[in-house]
Amino acid sequence: MSSSNDPLAGVAIHGGGHIPAGVQVYPEPGTSFWSGGGLPYGIPSRKLGMWLFIVSDAITFSAVIFAYGYLRLAAADWPRPFETASIVNATVMTFVLLSSSVAMVLAVRASNLGRRGGTVGWLLATAGGGIVFDILHIREWLGLIHEGVRPFQNPWGTPMFGSAFFAMTGLHMLHVTIGVIYLLIIAMAYSNKKVTEVDVEVSGLYWHFVDLVWMFIFPLVYLLSAKVG
Amino acid sequence: MSDTSAAAHHHTAPTSFIRKYIFSLDHKVIGIQYYFLAIFSVLIGMVLSWLVRIHLVWPQLHIWGLEKLSPAGAPGGVMTPEYYLSLLTLHGTLMVFFVLTTAPQAGFGNYALPIQIGAEDMAFPWLNMLSFWTTFVGLCCLVATLFVKDGPPISGWTAYPPLSAVGSDAGPGQGMGQNLWAVSIAIFCVGSLLGALNFIVTTVDLRAKGMSLMRMPLTCWAWLITAILSLLSFAVLFAACILLFLDRNAGTSFFLPAGLLVNEKLQPHSGGSPLLWQHLFWFFGHPEVYIAIVPGFGVISHILSTFSRKPVLGYKVIVACLLGIGFLSFMVWGHHMFLSGMSPYSGFLFSIPTLIITIPATIVSLLWLGTIFGGKLRFTTSMMFALGFISVFVTGGLGGMFLAQPSLDIFLHGTYFVVGHFHMVMGVAAIFGMFAGTYYWFPKMFGRMMNETMGKIHFWFTFVGVYCIFMPMHFIGLEGNPRRYSQFVNAFIQPLMPVHKFMTIAALSTGIIQFLFFFNLFWSIFKGPKAPNNPWESTSLEWTVPSPPPFDNFAGVHPVVNHGAYEYGEENDGKDYVMQTDPPTRAVTG
Amino acid sequence: MEHSETAGLKVIFSVLFGLLGLTVCEVVLAYRALPLGTMFTLLMGLSLLKAALIVAYFMHLRYEQPSLFVTLIPAFVFVILMMTVIFADSTRLAHMRSLVQ
Repeated sequence: MSSSNDPLAGVAIHGGGHIPAGVQVYPEPGTSFWSGGGLPYGIPSRKLGMWLFIVSDAITFSAVIFAYGYLRLAAADWPRPFETASIVNATVMTFVLLSSSVAMVLAVRASNLGRRGGTVGWLLATAGGGIVFDILHIREWLGLIHEGVRPFQNPWGTPMFGSAFFAMTGLHMLHVTIGVIYLLIIAMAYSNKKVTEVDVEVSGLYWHFVDLVWMFIFPLVYLLSAKVG
Repeated sequence: MSDTSAAAHHHTAPTSFIRKYIFSLDHKVIGIQYYFLAIFSVLIGMVLSWLVRIHLVWPQLHIWGLEKLSPAGAPGGVMTPEYYLSLLTLHGTLMVFFVLTTAPQAGFGNYALPIQIGAEDMAFPWLNMLSFWTTFVGLCCLVATLFVKDGPPISGWTAYPPLSAVGSDAGPGQGMGQNLWAVSIAIFCVGSLLGALNFIVTTVDLRAKGMSLMRMPLTCWAWLITAILSLLSFAVLFAACILLFLDRNAGTSFFLPAGLLVNEKLQPHSGGSPLLWQHLFWFFGHPEVYIAIVPGFGVISHILSTFSRKPVLGYKVIVACLLGIGFLSFMVWGHHMFLSGMSPYSGFLFSIPTLIITIPATIVSLLWLGTIFGGKLRFTTSMMFALGFISVFVTGGLGGMFLAQPSLDIFLHGTYFVVGHFHMVMGVAAIFGMFAGTYYWFPKMFGRMMNETMGKIHFWFTFVGVYCIFMPMHFIGLEGNPRRYSQFVNAFIQPLMPVHKFMTIAALSTGIIQFLFFFNLFWSIFKGPKAPNNPWESTSLEWTVPSPPPFDNFAGVHPVVNHGAYEYGEENDGKDYVMQTDPPTRAVTG
Repeated sequence: MEHSETAGLKVIFSVLFGLLGLTVCEVVLAYRALPLGTMFTLLMGLSLLKAALIVAYFMHLRYEQPSLFVTLIPAFVFVILMMTVIFADSTRLAHMRSLVQ
């Protein structure tokens, strides 16, 4: 299934590695893995489990974002208060998160190549990106709070603005923070050989998911409320 | 077989008491733990139902012990109207979440799924243990509402804002009680989500060689589909609970409009919409009721086939119908909201799939009848409950056809018709599924047989009793008897009071009979006659191993499956059935 | 499967620059004077594109079995589409509020 474009092709064991001896990776002729005795998706169970978790968590975020959309559409006076500085800050945060995602891909790559030191390094870089994101985010929150934004009021328009803002970005920031802790644990465990490259990849899936959610929060929360003109 | 690094799977049997029975990684123990959590919850829920039914017909009765539980809620042992709502809310919440969403899926599913597919355990045993204890913490939070100062919330298991979102201004139980409710349910969502992904990965990845999806027992299909529904729908409830919690404690206004006067206090919120909660809640709430019943469909199909000594009629059709029901269940939630003030066009849009979803349910019911038709029926207790399931499910389901139409629902919404409908399908049919599963799997779980005589008495009294309790509700509902009222003072309801008395007596009697079941259950765990490997001559994999199974289910052997799950009625060496792991015959069935 | 180790890296960095570029597009777009509906549609489109790139390349879904994609994505999309039904009531609310004004 891999093409030569696959960043992990040739360096990854099919399915992400670490399938114990004696377990078939390819089905016998005439059968498929849907017949039992193998992994129909060709990926380790932990990876499938994380994908399913991601689908569910994506739906949770979607529900919160839909609630925001519902209330914004219904509101007459939704403020658009974000000055250029705020937008620049949020854009920088986006860049930081995207770069940390690349660091994560490099960490997974390194783990599949068996480079323990490189893996840990890239994992720490990813976590570092997350920490920078959190710091920038909290700075921004403090700035807004200083300007009078609360979950129940703000100086510019419907109180829902603060409610939606803090709920969405707060939920996201919580996921980033949990991700940072998760990555640090994986980094430590991987360097002590307690976990395998599969676990690194699984943690990577979570991190990319967190990045992915931000791809929606950034335009929907910040850009749609940018002060234009 | 999944990737099994040492961290993910245990290889040796646990020895300490704590590891064996408390913090166990064994899916069998966890399944039984969920089952007993459900038993505990159903006992409390049942007592609560007695209290509310008693209050409806004897409102001035001094109920012993109630004043001690809540001096404010029941001064002199006489329930206040608010406390009635509190007890009703707790009844609903406990029953829907901690009984119907635990035992059928996490209870029986955890126990039987891995063995039925030929696996040693679930895909993520540690996560499984975490799911159970998370659910347990959720239960503790909910039961705690009984003991906090103002008692449980009064907003119903559906917790509609503004009542649920405002805080203690709105009434007793709306302070701490509602907060604990929101926290409890949010925690429950997490436990369910983790369990759901465990079920899906297990079913996909851990099936033994030869156990194709189409050879799985229908129980496994039911648990898989239920898990998918859980994964997708609990996510939305979790979001809704977060937003509710924020509204209550952080001053946000997701669900609260401006200008709300509650008990003469102007609320500071503005900008929100109570309808939003209803949408989010019922988007979860409708798949939830299918989560409650679909495992029952699986268990019943399995048991009907076993005790008719006939294959399930239309196995593939049943699978397709279950998938169809799962799919459609995401398209019908608005039928709970016909009277909410939502767009009438939405109302029309929701009623169509609601009517369509009756089709696969009907097909499944007919296929059950086709399964038993011409079979050599063995009337064990589990078979009786399975047959009873067909009856009560069809009865309750028919009520749904009325409610599916907005024009009729305008009259029936908020009446006892709805109460009768959902109790027949959830409070009876789903519970019958649990009873059938209990009597069927008890020998495997505990290595002993339950008493059949007691079981039959239990069945008949319960079967007659539930019709006595819930059938009249449809008729008084048609007469306009409203629900969630703590007393019926209107003149037009007075002629119906004898019916209420009848239902209350039936409820109390049927409730008492359940103690025969509990006695049978607990007595047989310790003193029942020893059970053989396969007392029911059933074909699925759990009956190939000893009762109870060894800790890793198959004692290190990896079973190879050669047959489908329902090969009954075939001549096979003097037996009339072929086990799934029997050697392949000339015509290998798939 | 022999190929140069750096080919994969090229793809990753191309995707990164693509994502950064799309982000810049979004920011530029935000400062145009467009009606809210149009702006929303365009931004959502760009975000979906970014999400697709992340899912396909960073999360590796492009190189997994097609059955995995078929299992995960349509179910998610279906749930999202179903949830959009609630907006009928949101726009009604806006309309009703404008009447009261």
